[in-house]
Amino acid sequence: MKKILTVILCMTLSFSIFAQEAKDKHLAKLPAVDIQTLDGTVFNTKDIQNDGKPVIISLWATWCKPCIAELLAIADEYEDWVEETGVKLYAISIDDAKTSARVAPFVKGKGWEYTVLLDVNSDFKRAMNVNDVPYMCILNGDGEIVWQHTSYAPGSEEEVYEIIKSLVKK
Amino acid sequence: MISTSIKRLLLASTLLLGSVWAFGQHQIGNGRISGDFGFNGMYYIPDSIIGAEPVDSKVRGNAFLNILYSNGGFSAGARYEFYMFPLIDFEKIGYQGQGIKYFFADYTNKFISVTAGNYYEQFGNGLTLRAYEDRQLGIDNSLLGARIKLTPYKGIHIKAVWGIERDNFNPYLGREDYVRGADAEFSFGEIFPVIQEKGFIARVGANIVSKFEKSSTDILFDIQDDSLGTVTGVIPQDKVPQNVATWAARATFGYKDFRLDAEYARKMNDPNITNSFIYKPGEALFLSATYAMKGFGIAASFIRADNMEYRSQRWMNQNSELMINCIPAINRQYSYQLIGDYSYASQPNSQIGAQLQINYQIPKKSVLGGKYGTDITFNYSRFHDIDKQPVPEAVENGTMTGTMGYTSSFFKFGPNLLYQDVGLEISHRFNNKKWKWILAYNYITYNLEILQGHAGMMRGHLVASDLSYKITPKHALRLELQHLYTKDDDGSSVYAMLEYSISPNWFFSIGDDWNYGNPDPAHKTHYYNIACAYVWNTTRIALNFGKTKEGILCVGGVCRAVPASYGLGLSVTTSF
Repeated sequence: MKKILTVILCMTLSFSIFAQEAKDKHLAKLPAVDIQTLDGTVFNTKDIQNDGKPVIISLWATWCKPCIAELLAIADEYEDWVEETGVKLYAISIDDAKTSARVAPFVKGKGWEYTVLLDVNSDFKRAMNVNDVPYMCILNGDGEIVWQHTSYAPGSEEEVYEIIKSLVKK
Repeated sequence: MISTSIKRLLLASTLLLGSVWAFGQHQIGNGRISGDFGFNGMYYIPDSIIGAEPVDSKVRGNAFLNILYSNGGFSAGARYEFYMFPLIDFEKIGYQGQGIKYFFADYTNKFISVTAGNYYEQFGNGLTLRAYEDRQLGIDNSLLGARIKLTPYKGIHIKAVWGIERDNFNPYLGREDYVRGADAEFSFGEIFPVIQEKGFIARVGANIVSKFEKSSTDILFDIQDDSLGTVTGVIPQDKVPQNVATWAARATFGYKDFRLDAEYARKMNDPNITNSFIYKPGEALFLSATYAMKGFGIAASFIRADNMEYRSQRWMNQNSELMINCIPAINRQYSYQLIGDYSYASQPNSQIGAQLQINYQIPKKSVLGGKYGTDITFNYSRFHDIDKQPVPEAVENGTMTGTMGYTSSFFKFGPNLLYQDVGLEISHRFNNKKWKWILAYNYITYNLEILQGHAGMMRGHLVASDLSYKITPKHALRLELQHLYTKDDDGSSVYAMLEYSISPNWFFSIGDDWNYGNPDPAHKTHYYNIACAYVWNTTRIALNFGKTKEGILCVGGVCRAVPASYGLGLSVTTSF
């Protein structure tokens, strides 16, 4: 038992060193998956872009309280963020058939200015290897994923903004 | 036994987690490897008061690893699951075993997408086909086979599927059932851009799904005969339909902020254990209308489902096992601790009901709205069973089995109320943005007999308060208080939970659900829970210790039983 564990540990350590190297060289881009716009038109995730400016992607659902808390917190600052950095936030809902019809009224009711998309079959969620929502990632101007995070604690939106500002400065 | 389970769990988890690091976002040529890992384990302590029974291995856990390779339009992936000693609720629903039960290869370009292996798919609203997974509930109804998706012209989408549905960890080999189907959708706004430019949405779609299951035995049942007493009735093997087809048609129309969705589905004769082997066709209607403008949204929906439980095998009636379609539960879903047990579960064989939700934001910078606005949500939903009048032959036989079953007046509500919810939620942030308060009231009526199998109705008033306070930009406190007042079922409860978070990494919480109104004094129990979690990018490690009440767990109107438990839990998820 101990031997097996030691072998595995050594293997993983050596692999992870290689993995780290690879990570630095190539930043991952978004997978190309068909999802929908709010009016039900098919939308491919490779078309998520913002003319060379950073993009925030949030995976959320109308039944997910921390997701909503996070999007609400950003909504307060969003106008300023856009003005200063030109950032664009895509709020991709993983609500399925039961609740997806309620996404549009929900979003409008909250007065959110985000670009809202629907991933009703969780295809994008799977392709992004996301276990649970809330999930957020940031893309740089070249569409590369520079930061990822799951769950939400009040205040973490500050970190998001710092990263976006640093991307724009570059 | 105990040590074997611990050893094997440890070994499996280490191996899986090890490979996470090993594969960690590798770049191979132009391809990329990514994946995710999850472990959910628990050390169980028996507790006779809450009904947490001693379990044969005290340490249990679920573990899985997803690996995904993608290179341009090509992708391939596999999931290894280790559920040899699963959490007891998974063992109860038969989700136990290990192996690679999900693997696929997929090629996609602008016009065509071809998948071989396992895949998830949904036609329309899922009334005829919904192959999906819900890891929390232990549902994985993926199809193993092939799928083709075509986009011959912008706005025209055609899909065709063939596959054998996954049945937990049972082998595919030797299965005598499979599912096939095709769906077409025309999005007129994309085909004729002028429609879209004028602010209209117009889309129609239709599909047909068919399941094959070999019929190899006669079905025997009891008939009450006036002179002979109980005699045995027979549905001969060759009278049991081997092919059961369903079809559905749907349409969406919209203009600017208004939208209407409708779908109707019909199922051919499908005698199975859940409908007492009747030959009546099934049908379902789903309607939804929404209107939304800035600061205001309204959504109304209606559903009627009659004999629409559709599974790969006619003798299957366990939870969501082998379910081909999914009749949505359209009620509003809540995450309040005290009413979790009274969440409505969709009844595909008999339900009619409606749901209305109104969102309104009292404008920002107004007297009542304050600087950040006040959000108000009103909700009403009501569901009944459907009207059923047994056919004369069923009355004569004393059983519906083998007959056309019953007739049903389409829009008539049946005699039994299943669920009703009247709710109001107000959410407000105070001017310095440090305080946020959500206050909610719900009056819930829940049919215990039909939805949970024990007698009576539960009528309860819930008041819930959720107060957040941001101490500093990174430190925050959240206090949840709830009170459920009811004279029914287990009686009234109060709940309090305090959460402290240090952004972005740490979460601590302590909570207690006290069932003070339980009619049995010995069961006025405190279900306490202490938890802490550490989050670092996409990795989350959480520990919790406490008691869980026996009840049901529902995710989106699909529910399963949760046994009472007491113990120490550990959960780890990561992606790379």
